[in-house]
Amino acid sequence: MTTRRTFLAALLAAGAMPRLGWAAVGNPAYLAAAQEADGTFALFGLTEGGIETFRISLPARGHAGAGHPVRAEAVAFARRPGTFARVIDCATGRVIRDLTPPPGRQFNGHGVYDPSGAVLFTSEQDAATSDGVIGVWDVAAGYVRRAAFPSGGIGPHDLRLMPDGATLVVANGGIATDPTDRTKLNIATMRPNLSYLALDGTLLERVELRPDLAQNSIRHLAVRTDGLTGFAMQWEGEAGIVTPLLGLHRRGTDLVLALAPEADEIAMQGYAGSIAFDGAGAEVAISSPRGGRVHRFDDTGAFLGAVSRSDVCGLAARTGGLLASDGLGGLVAIANGTARPLGHADRAWDNHIVTLPKV
Amino acid sequence: MIRTVLALSVLSAAPVQADVSRAVTDHILPGFAQFATHAEALSATAAADCTPAAVQPAYQAAFDAWLGVANLHIGPSETGALSIAYWPDDRAFTPRALTALIADPASRDPATFAEVSIAARGLFALDMLLYDPAFAGYAAGDATCTLVQVVSADLAAQATALDAAWRDAFAAVLTSAGAPGNATYMTGDEALRALYTQLLTGLTFDADMRLARPLGTFDQPRPRMAEAWRSGRPLRNVVLSVKAAQGLAHALTDTDLPLTDAAVARVEVAASRIDDPAFQTVTDPQARLLVDVLHQRVAAVEVAIDTEIGGALGIAAGFNALDGD
Repeated sequence: MTTRRTFLAALLAAGAMPRLGWAAVGNPAYLAAAQEADGTFALFGLTEGGIETFRISLPARGHAGAGHPVRAEAVAFARRPGTFARVIDCATGRVIRDLTPPPGRQFNGHGVYDPSGAVLFTSEQDAATSDGVIGVWDVAAGYVRRAAFPSGGIGPHDLRLMPDGATLVVANGGIATDPTDRTKLNIATMRPNLSYLALDGTLLERVELRPDLAQNSIRHLAVRTDGLTGFAMQWEGEAGIVTPLLGLHRRGTDLVLALAPEADEIAMQGYAGSIAFDGAGAEVAISSPRGGRVHRFDDTGAFLGAVSRSDVCGLAARTGGLLASDGLGGLVAIANGTARPLGHADRAWDNHIVTLPKV
Repeated sequence: MIRTVLALSVLSAAPVQADVSRAVTDHILPGFAQFATHAEALSATAAADCTPAAVQPAYQAAFDAWLGVANLHIGPSETGALSIAYWPDDRAFTPRALTALIADPASRDPATFAEVSIAARGLFALDMLLYDPAFAGYAAGDATCTLVQVVSADLAAQATALDAAWRDAFAAVLTSAGAPGNATYMTGDEALRALYTQLLTGLTFDADMRLARPLGTFDQPRPRMAEAWRSGRPLRNVVLSVKAAQGLAHALTDTDLPLTDAAVARVEVAASRIDDPAFQTVTDPQARLLVDVLHQRVAAVEVAIDTEIGGALGIAAGFNALDGD
């Protein structure tokens, strides 16, 4: 519980000790959380080559996180329905601040800093109604809650900042959940959308799927430097129907849905867990831990091929291709469709890899 | 050669010696070769005479051979198995796709048949064409007869391609697990784990799909939800699938598997008591009870394999696959 005293202490700490940049923790290119062999959880800094640059214990399994663009500071979000997010000094492992959503709200697993690192945006929902909210936190002031605005839909999940630095894109998954667990309440009537919001919360554009795909929850996002947004979906409808799991969108134009060949699509089991553009931005990939597959597409949505790897989920851009992580402890480099092992450790990498800004 | 000594489980009396190479060489590759041989024989039979009575025995033999390797869904079989055995088909894609193919001669071009919906390909297309009254009343020279030839030739081509892909490429991926550059299986244990998972997933499929679906509930059995019921195969498919799992389990391990073998023997006894191999009499409480007993016996094989092999492997379900977010 945050009291005035702890809040002041955090502010003072922030003022008294200027924090170190990412260089001080080995210039990691990525943040990734994992469950260790002994069952505990930790956050790691990783280079493009898959080398660990730091390791910090986490109190519980997280979902995703965000890295401060300048300082060696990361926020790790709890799994849904999340009641806390922990801001960590990656140089010392010290907890800078535990963030708690306002009463009646839940964190939804994702957040993003603005490019200067002054503001953190968090994906949240009203616990009772699942109405989506974006929380705005003043980082410089010690992660003080400043504002909140509607996310543009139900059950928002991932959110990203567009390259203009002035627009948020939000994956409103469309699923209303029970306030106390992850039970889904509205599968028959769900309507996910992709919403573009100004940083003051003004809704700039909202895109929906066609009605027969309304049960395809839009959950994870990747944004290319030119503003092309890729979104990964999870099918909540009837089993045995082949649906696209990847969509591409450019503001002001129609959605492009990307479909793999029928047997490949069936092998994904209607589920994409992560999405990333490759280092060059020429291809976009989605992962299915259920199918143990990564599907690659070009930027027009044409299928390029699949890479098989058990329990694969985390995906991130890497020079010359992609980085994939999995629950068996593997880190795999994918370049032009060829997978090459980068490293293996006795731990289970979690759902997502967070890419840090290049300094 | 991959030879991994696994940690002792509480239940094991001796360390389980696992041997991926032997499983590949003695069980998997011969299985695919046998399926390719039977699928080619089916295609040759259909080419000579495509009427149901002529093709049915070859179809049955090919389906038998398929069950030797049907539980494998890794490597080339990850997608390859789907276009050979498209089931379940609750939305009736197969009959719809076949009806469309019969109506449109151009769509039956053997050169492009690999591009048609997978629902219209493989063993379940033949189950319907050769046995369902809506299709099987055709005569030589009819469009349906030609379609049987095209589906059979496509199945043979798939079987040959799958056999080659396993033999010439994927076998080495499995047996070189842990070698530098192997991004599919980064340690020897991962290949073992993959094969063991196939074993258990196959048994789960037998219990949950091949048996639980037609069993339905006591008040509402669902005979038409049995697998390949038109061609009378539901019981045979369960037994052959369980025996394939037993074969893979033995090929994978050095130790005797007395619990597994005893459990499989009980499956065979339970199977021998069932009168209707198509499970179409599950609407009768007595008949349903016998299928229900078979269901329990198959579930017991899973437990036995888990006890004799799985505990030692420390296999747990996927960390991310089960998380769902």
